[in-house]
Amino acid sequence: MSEIALETRPDPLAGTDKSEQGDVRTEEMLVNMGPQHPATHGVLRIVLRTDGELVLEAVPHIGYLHRCAEKIGENLAPYQYIPYTDRMDYLAGMNNNQAFAIAIERLAGVEVPLRAQYIRVMFAELNRIASHLVAFGTYGLDMGAFTPFLYAFREREMILDLFESACGARLTYSYITIGGVTDDLPDRFLEVLDEFMDYFEPKIDEYNQLLSFNQIFVKRTADVGVISAEDAVRWALTGPVLRASGVNWDLRKSTPYEIYDRFDFDIPIGLPGGSEGVPRAVVVGDSWNRHIVKVWEMRQSCRIIRQAMEQMPEGPHIAAKTKNLKLPDDEIYIEIENPRGQLGFYVRGDGTQIPSRVKVRGPSFCNISVLNHIGSGCLLADIPAIVGSIDIVMGECDR
Amino acid sequence: MSWIENRFEEGLMVTSLDWAINWGRTSSIWPMTFGLACCAIEMMAVGASRFDIDRFGAGAFRATPRQADLMIVAGTVTYKMASRLKRLYNQMPDPKYVIAMGACTIGGGPYFKYGYHVVKGVDLVVPVDVYIPGCPPRPEALLEGLMRLQDKIKSQTRAKDPISRVRTEVLAN
Amino acid sequence: MTQLSVPWRPRAKQQHGPMAALVAGFAKALYATFAPLVRAFPGPLLIGAIVTVIVGVWANYLVFEFVDTALVAADTNVVAETGLFGGLLAITEVRAGLIAAGVPGAGTLCYLLYPLQYGLVRDVIGAGGLLGFISVIPLYVIWWERKVAGRIQSRTGPMRVGGWHGWSQSMADGIKLICKEDLCPADADRPLFKLAPYLAFVPAILAFFALPFGTYWVFREVDVALVFILAMLGIEVLGVILAGWASNNKWSVYGAMREACQMVSYEIPMGMALLIPIMAVGTLSLTELGDTQSGGWTSWIVFRNPFTFVAAIAYYIASLANCKRAPFDLPESESELVAGFHTEYSGFRWSLFFFGEYAAMFVVSGLCVILFFGAWYSPLPMSLAESWGLGDSLIARAIKGLLFAGPLWFVGKCVFLLYVQIWIRWTLPRIRIDQVLYACIQVLLPLMMVVLMGHTLYELFVPTHGLVWSIFNIILSLIGAVAVLGMIFIATYGFWNRVGLVGSLGVETLPGS
Repeated sequence: MSEIALETRPDPLAGTDKSEQGDVRTEEMLVNMGPQHPATHGVLRIVLRTDGELVLEAVPHIGYLHRCAEKIGENLAPYQYIPYTDRMDYLAGMNNNQAFAIAIERLAGVEVPLRAQYIRVMFAELNRIASHLVAFGTYGLDMGAFTPFLYAFREREMILDLFESACGARLTYSYITIGGVTDDLPDRFLEVLDEFMDYFEPKIDEYNQLLSFNQIFVKRTADVGVISAEDAVRWALTGPVLRASGVNWDLRKSTPYEIYDRFDFDIPIGLPGGSEGVPRAVVVGDSWNRHIVKVWEMRQSCRIIRQAMEQMPEGPHIAAKTKNLKLPDDEIYIEIENPRGQLGFYVRGDGTQIPSRVKVRGPSFCNISVLNHIGSGCLLADIPAIVGSIDIVMGECDR
Repeated sequence: MSWIENRFEEGLMVTSLDWAINWGRTSSIWPMTFGLACCAIEMMAVGASRFDIDRFGAGAFRATPRQADLMIVAGTVTYKMASRLKRLYNQMPDPKYVIAMGACTIGGGPYFKYGYHVVKGVDLVVPVDVYIPGCPPRPEALLEGLMRLQDKIKSQTRAKDPISRVRTEVLAN
Repeated sequence: MTQLSVPWRPRAKQQHGPMAALVAGFAKALYATFAPLVRAFPGPLLIGAIVTVIVGVWANYLVFEFVDTALVAADTNVVAETGLFGGLLAITEVRAGLIAAGVPGAGTLCYLLYPLQYGLVRDVIGAGGLLGFISVIPLYVIWWERKVAGRIQSRTGPMRVGGWHGWSQSMADGIKLICKEDLCPADADRPLFKLAPYLAFVPAILAFFALPFGTYWVFREVDVALVFILAMLGIEVLGVILAGWASNNKWSVYGAMREACQMVSYEIPMGMALLIPIMAVGTLSLTELGDTQSGGWTSWIVFRNPFTFVAAIAYYIASLANCKRAPFDLPESESELVAGFHTEYSGFRWSLFFFGEYAAMFVVSGLCVILFFGAWYSPLPMSLAESWGLGDSLIARAIKGLLFAGPLWFVGKCVFLLYVQIWIRWTLPRIRIDQVLYACIQVLLPLMMVVLMGHTLYELFVPTHGLVWSIFNIILSLIGAVAVLGMIFIATYGFWNRVGLVGSLGVETLPGS
């Protein structure tokens, strides 16, 4: 086995440490945040140029988790590639599986049975709740409120119990696959899900009381990192970040995929301060709005899940004849709404089972690019507030 | 003292001083937050309420390597990250331990075949004490790995140095 | 499996002397004898240990008192004076005094009691006891914090170490930290690097030497005790700055400067808040300040007038910021992301910072209790004790100590205030550094100035124990009583109506079966 060379390029910050030794005047300093963080952001490195407390430039450095997902897609059949999609955005495995499955199904013309579509939507929305719970909890942790993190994880454990009963895994499910879902729902699943919904919906108000409307939290996040609506569209931001800037755009409503057009739900968008239920210091497009949009989305996901539970038909859980699926000589690009934004898959088939190109459009990759634009001009302590509110997952940012 | 029986590797004598020091070290293992990828979420779940690693005394996650004694490498190690990992490992004071959590850190995991940027196992970068298989391993598996590490620490002695490092593999999950 | 390509090096050996081996053997023997007992009877043993400690300390105090008062020689002009290097009684006189007082075993006891005349001996014993107390307090406050944090976060804290609820967790932490490798950065200023933790830890200990636990329970009765303690707390800032500087890390200096800035800024409103009870009572001596609050709940300085009430709350908040506790611990979180003053410290040196922080928390809570919340007196007035006609016997003094006044009340109140600090830490998010300083200089400082001015005018123009004075006193006492009773009620109600969480939503049949 050959010796595998480790990274030997010199650290770009190596020179500044010694050469800028001297007295601590208010000169510009290069501050390095990460790539090791207190377990919340993942391997993101932010290089800040600061003048005292003021940040002049905030440049994110990514690539520390590049796991060659796209190259792997060129070597595996679609049903083999599903587990790799899980691991990209590991907090929203069901949604990633769904995106890739939809891409392949539309490319190859596979018809997904209705029951399978209902199950997929239900699980995707449950995963949205779980993902937003993690975002909510870790944002509180960034702001120094340790307790909401544990409450969020406590609720999330119940959702993971449900997932585990259906597919056997807690985090990387590979449940939604080409043509449907790998296994039907277990007995009593819907009853238990109903119990959970009854337990969980009042908790959202409780969390708002604990964290979102806490004066200290509002002061830390209101009017911090404001992204205007035009900027948001210009920088190709998607997901809660876009909606918090006031843009009413959600793929589940605007270009409904699967059966989202059968459900009745709202799209929460960012509200200005002083509106109903919004503290006065808040501005449209700031970090507080990005946070609260996720909390409101959890409520809407609960609505969708309840409607899906009521409308669930009987039927097969997977399309027939999906083994040895041959992809036509064609390409497709679809996007779906991930908890983080619009996740896009481009697949190019060439007549064989194995695609010739898989490209992933990761929402976190586009969302984090706005950091320099909004980070410059804020204080050093605002950077975690901004990065936490954008809610990036490095697995899908780096792929 | 029944809990102490059968917990040592055979042939090693542990003196009272070793016993006392090892007791201190096993009861208060402070992990460093080194979550890289999906396994980091399971590590966070271990710190959360249901699995609660603080019961074992290991709940004080320190962000700086200087105050941590355990590095749980949770997630895929890439070439870009490997040098940072080594540097952080070097900054930890002795005695320090490494748990390789997840399939990616054991031998590259699912990225073994086609991952050009993935280091095929973190033991190519730092010496590992306990390997925990799984993708991701369940939180209970991480807790078992922690307990195996505690066993390993209890068997350490100043009397003689082990000739070769014993690799403890955990058949969990 | 891959080959191990990193060459394995033996771990750095640690040198331990024969004394350590002896102590460890002793510890192991103790463990072997007592572990089954501890596991079988944890509750009674804990209570027994606490009671033993309390009785032991009290017995010590009684012995000192006995030596002071009872050993009067037959010649009544000679009294046992306790100078630093000499008493006036010879051993025969001590023996005679003991026989006269009717104490059994006077023959051998006189040899033991003779050195206690010497102030130096007493100081050593007192300092030893105090240091013992100081060592135990951070240990158990840390354990308590982890347990309370766990309960707030719907989990249990440490459970395994030592058996019952992880009671020896802090000891294990301590042993581990002592046995860590002693790191010092290569280019760091070595003497300063080693000095800094002591500068942060020792002043907090010294502050205990002037802190009274009871009317006569003070190591050194200092006239200006308050100023002394504040000065000691101020020296800690030097430790922080030095630690940041000596780490040879640009961002450690940066972080240290910010923490020092926060600590120093909040000393101003803290000091101003402390001026208010001094003005109300008229002395800087902590024992006198404590003794003025002997009249029960309404005589506590916090309920005296609205200005002292506001000053108590402002002092508590300012002391939280001074100790760098949440919600004012942004410098600590920044040290997680960037660097802070103790980033380069590991092992024992870091544990000194940690201990110093908890010792300072206790001192600051102690000051709060003495100056505002009735010091070592219970809510029952001392006049009640007089009216019960309790004499001076040991039993009577024990009852008085438990019900009316005593160090137990002082420690209990301090622990309660620490509990509130822990509550606040695990509930509220952090405040940003500019907001912290804004709160200090633009909110607390003007508020304290107004309160100070108002209190001065109040003291000048409102006659003490007059109508207005009494009305404010009674209203504030009622507010305080309602607050405390409300707290107790909410806690009991919550405990009574506690509900288990929705359990694991497991399904009975696995899919596919």
